[in-house]
Amino acid sequence: MSMLRFDRVGYSYGDGIAVHDLSFHIAAGEFTALVGSNGAGKTTVTKLMNGLLKPQSGTVYLDGVATASARTSRMARAAGGGVGMLFQNPDHQISKNTVLDEIAFSLSFGSMSRAEQRERAAAIADEFGFRADAEPFALSRGERQLLALASVLVAEPAVLILDEPTCGLDWRECMLVMDKVRARNQAGTTVVMVCHDMEVVGDFCRRMLVMDEGRLLADGTPDELFRRADLFGQAHIAPPQMVQLALRFADGDDALSRAMAPTADIQTALNAVLPLLSARTVQSGTCGPVVQGGVT
Amino acid sequence: MTPTATETAAETATGTATGTAAAPHTSAIIATDRLSFTYAAGTRPALDDINLQVAAGDFVGIIGPSGAGKSTLAAALSGVIPHYWKGSFYGAVRVDGRDSCEQSLTDISRTVATVFQDIEAQMVAAIVEDEVLFGLENFGVPKADIPGRVTDALDLVGIADLRRRTISSLSGGQRQKVALAAALALRPRVLLLDEPTSELDPASSVQIFETLQRLNREQGITVIVIEQKIMLLCAYARTLGVMDGGRLVHHGPVRTVLEHIEDLETRGVNAPRVTTFTHALRRAVGAGLPLTVTVDETESALRRAFSGAANDTTHNTQGERDVYAPL
Repeated sequence: MSMLRFDRVGYSYGDGIAVHDLSFHIAAGEFTALVGSNGAGKTTVTKLMNGLLKPQSGTVYLDGVATASARTSRMARAAGGGVGMLFQNPDHQISKNTVLDEIAFSLSFGSMSRAEQRERAAAIADEFGFRADAEPFALSRGERQLLALASVLVAEPAVLILDEPTCGLDWRECMLVMDKVRARNQAGTTVVMVCHDMEVVGDFCRRMLVMDEGRLLADGTPDELFRRADLFGQAHIAPPQMVQLALRFADGDDALSRAMAPTADIQTALNAVLPLLSARTVQSGTCGPVVQGGVT
Repeated sequence: MTPTATETAAETATGTATGTAAAPHTSAIIATDRLSFTYAAGTRPALDDINLQVAAGDFVGIIGPSGAGKSTLAAALSGVIPHYWKGSFYGAVRVDGRDSCEQSLTDISRTVATVFQDIEAQMVAAIVEDEVLFGLENFGVPKADIPGRVTDALDLVGIADLRRRTISSLSGGQRQKVALAAALALRPRVLLLDEPTSELDPASSVQIFETLQRLNREQGITVIVIEQKIMLLCAYARTLGVMDGGRLVHHGPVRTVLEHIEDLETRGVNAPRVTTFTHALRRAVGAGLPLTVTVDETESALRRAFSGAANDTTHNTQGERDVYAPL
């Protein structure tokens, strides 16, 4: 059964169609990237997923429940955990004066005892490396993004929707956020992530929905869709660098071209190229034996 | 600690990322001399002994982890520090040869136009056109010249169609372009941008950097851009500065800085994927491959290696074109 299903969904803000006749479904446990240019309708789709927006035509189902007619309390219980959403700008969702209060806030709407709320919030704060009494707005932009994520994850949502979760983060923070998200996904959480960074998409997502002007252009695995140059031109996005590199060799018939399979994974590319390159360099006497090393 | 690579402007003209640009002029339009700054409420220096020379006509990228001091550096180079943000200020910043402490913020702004990270805080008008002409009126530009300069600036950034739009109706990416147009309308000699593409999709990000490159090449505007997107910086900037813990820990031609790839990673700065790839290849098979920073370069390097020219280390980037753009 689908965790999320869009059935001919349309939505307009009045000055233009944001989402047009959109149909797809996402199964429980998937890790899906929603990609496309600015204005493609991605954020509107995420708001339709969690019921912030109700479809003006068609139907959005969350765990089999139509969002247009479901009460908020029913949505919160959907699939045993409801939908958690991380907004692009963490400052749009941080409202408390301490890290602990901020993380515990989302738990305060249910029936959980205050003691348990604090206990769970403290555990997440500890997992993310936060001091419980730290002031949220004294944290860096990246730390606030992590805090917002912690505040979403503490409620253990069944569906996790992330709108540009790595925007404005440095590389290390980006990896930290994405590792947390991947761990939740591996534990069964369905993840839908709006993302402009195709390197991140290639590293973490198993499915891509490509949107343009409110429509779904393509639906497939990153490996499949990264090969489609026509698609990326149309959607104004760029495949990962290593895929771009491999595509340069796609039409060749030499050993290197045959080895260069389109993949975003550096280690896979190294494994393909190193034996060929080392054979050549040893033949020509330019170096000693190959030391196969991992990518740092 | 001094930067590990502090090449002169003449040296920066070689081994550049984009290759085809003319050499920057040798005079420094912005220079810091042992610059340190601690915010009034801060407990440690946000900037710590920074020595940075920006040659007139250069295209400089600044990268570093969160909290490294990048935005504080931008504030110091633009005169906001010490004129607006207060704290303990040591050393000197020279803008066009004059100490920033001895110039008014307005005078510094005539040389350095800045687009800050928080563009919402920078916007003052309700309509795009008014936002772009605000600075011109404040600088006393003759009234007759203002419409033309507004038009030129909007055209340069590609948002002429947004001229009459309310800013509140624009997307984050469109607002970033408005802020850039407002800065360009002032016809500055230095354009300083703090994460100008943070809310933009890849195509729009490339469009902004293409615009910056055009301004740099055709009008000689010095560009200093703080950015987390390392692949964009490596494709467009000539020199790269890496900050960490308030210090400028690397500064030099892009390729020279990326030679410190392992150190960069320990500081939370990743290299472009193709750089990581060729670095790993070099480590495995030894010398003979250049460290590449773009897809074009990597393709060329691999083809040369497989055509038996692996010993050719005189990698020529002239005329090569980066491909970090939609296919």
